[in-house]
Amino acid sequence: MTALATIRDLTVTYRRDGSEVAALKSINLDIAVGERLAIIGESGSGKSTLALAIARLLPASSAVSGGIEWPGLAHAPLGGRDIGFVFQDPSASLDPVMAIGKQIAEVAHTHLGLTWPQAYAKAKHLLERVRLPDPGSALRAFPHQLSGGQKQRVAIAAAIAAGPKLLIADEATSALDTIVQAEIVALIRRLVTEDGMTLLFISHDIALAAELAERIAVFRHGQLVELGTTAEIVGAPAQAYTRTLLDAHIGLDAKPLLNRAGLDV
Amino acid sequence: MSLLTVSNLTKRYHRGDKTIAAVDDVSFHIDSGETLALAGPSGSGKSTIARLVLRLIEPDDGRIDFEGDDFLALNGAALRVRRARLQMVFQDPLAAFNPRATVARVLDDPLRIHGIASRSERPRRIAALLERVGLTADLAPRAIHEISGGQRQRVAIARAVATKPSLIVLDEAVSALDVSVRGQILDLLLDLQRQERIAYLFISHDLGVIRAIAHRVVLLDAGRIAESGDACAVIDAPQSAIGKALVAAAPRLNRTKQDAS
Repeated sequence: MTALATIRDLTVTYRRDGSEVAALKSINLDIAVGERLAIIGESGSGKSTLALAIARLLPASSAVSGGIEWPGLAHAPLGGRDIGFVFQDPSASLDPVMAIGKQIAEVAHTHLGLTWPQAYAKAKHLLERVRLPDPGSALRAFPHQLSGGQKQRVAIAAAIAAGPKLLIADEATSALDTIVQAEIVALIRRLVTEDGMTLLFISHDIALAAELAERIAVFRHGQLVELGTTAEIVGAPAQAYTRTLLDAHIGLDAKPLLNRAGLDV
Repeated sequence: MSLLTVSNLTKRYHRGDKTIAAVDDVSFHIDSGETLALAGPSGSGKSTIARLVLRLIEPDDGRIDFEGDDFLALNGAALRVRRARLQMVFQDPLAAFNPRATVARVLDDPLRIHGIASRSERPRRIAALLERVGLTADLAPRAIHEISGGQRQRVAIARAVATKPSLIVLDEAVSALDVSVRGQILDLLLDLQRQERIAYLFISHDLGVIRAIAHRVVLLDAGRIAESGDACAVIDAPQSAIGKALVAAAPRLNRTKQDAS
């Protein structure tokens, strides 16, 4: 396995109201070039902190020890160019008063040194790739004119505009309905494959992670509980907590909790 | 006779010169002690139906019968009395509570407003409500924003059952909870239903949860009913296009790996 990034003894502490909270505790994890790795966990597990630490987006008030090395890159990564980031809420990550074409073109202009006409041509091509209807006129649209799923497609187009090696999707489908979620997951899978990107997929949903990822890392209370291939994690988890998460999943084949005989109308 | 009967309910919104029927000629009923789930994609009208049933908004057309009365015709004191029988729990309890309130205050309000218990009796009733939803009485003085998300949703359920409702509208009430907490809250809801014959109008995008806890399901698409019936039967073999799409899109732990589409 060639490592894109190696995370060694990474500890992140947030200072809040005078007290310190350890969000990540001595994490060791390698991200392989070209893999689809899911990070799953519940609230407070540290999964989003890990994503922010990798993208160097942690708030200035956080204390970081240990480190992340990038043997898979020839230079230190630059956010937006080498790492693309897709957040949960595209309404918050897109500029509401800038046409979406410009938001995508700006990434290509800034990081790839394209002229504006070239950058806009690239933006149009990216809107085609994320399957936005009528990409030519969509360039001039504003975020509020789009549905939630369309906005997330635009956010993905902007995230991959500079050709990043690593795409981080942090709960990128959690605010979408099930049908749109499945479409966005399929889109991310296709783009990652076509561009040879490495994917870090952060999710609270173990079933969704299992559908997309080749490996799954389970986090809890800031610690890495278990790391394995998707088949290992889903089929033969070594840790009780992983088993708890799997058991808590209520799939379409789960046994109904309802005692139907109890209803006597 | 059914507890709640919704007949030909229609709600239109006007945007510019366009009229959109958010809810279009929808009819269904819920019996005492029964869970009816509403499912559908974003914009299918499920939350609008919840708001109509709660009379947070008024329909353009249709009729709602609740506990034998024409619910839309009630007003004033009669509506206030009947509202105690129809409660609600939303996805985000932090947004549903006064953020400066304590747990005790949140539970005191319905007991006071609906005249259920005297001032001296209320602390004891609040303690009993907290215990009823699996919390301890020492939580009462805590601020709402201090407690965990799971505890907060239990307080929201305690507030809803405080007025002894016959029907609770649950709008994505377990969707934002961690999976380990979600199971406990579903167990609590089922226990309350068994003990007190409360009916639920359970709105969710999660077909797995619906199949596990609902008796019947109504699938909505663009404001209209696409399909309805026994929850397991509909979800195991959907007939409508939207039902098939919803089932196909539900994440599965053991799906055969497919190629990118």
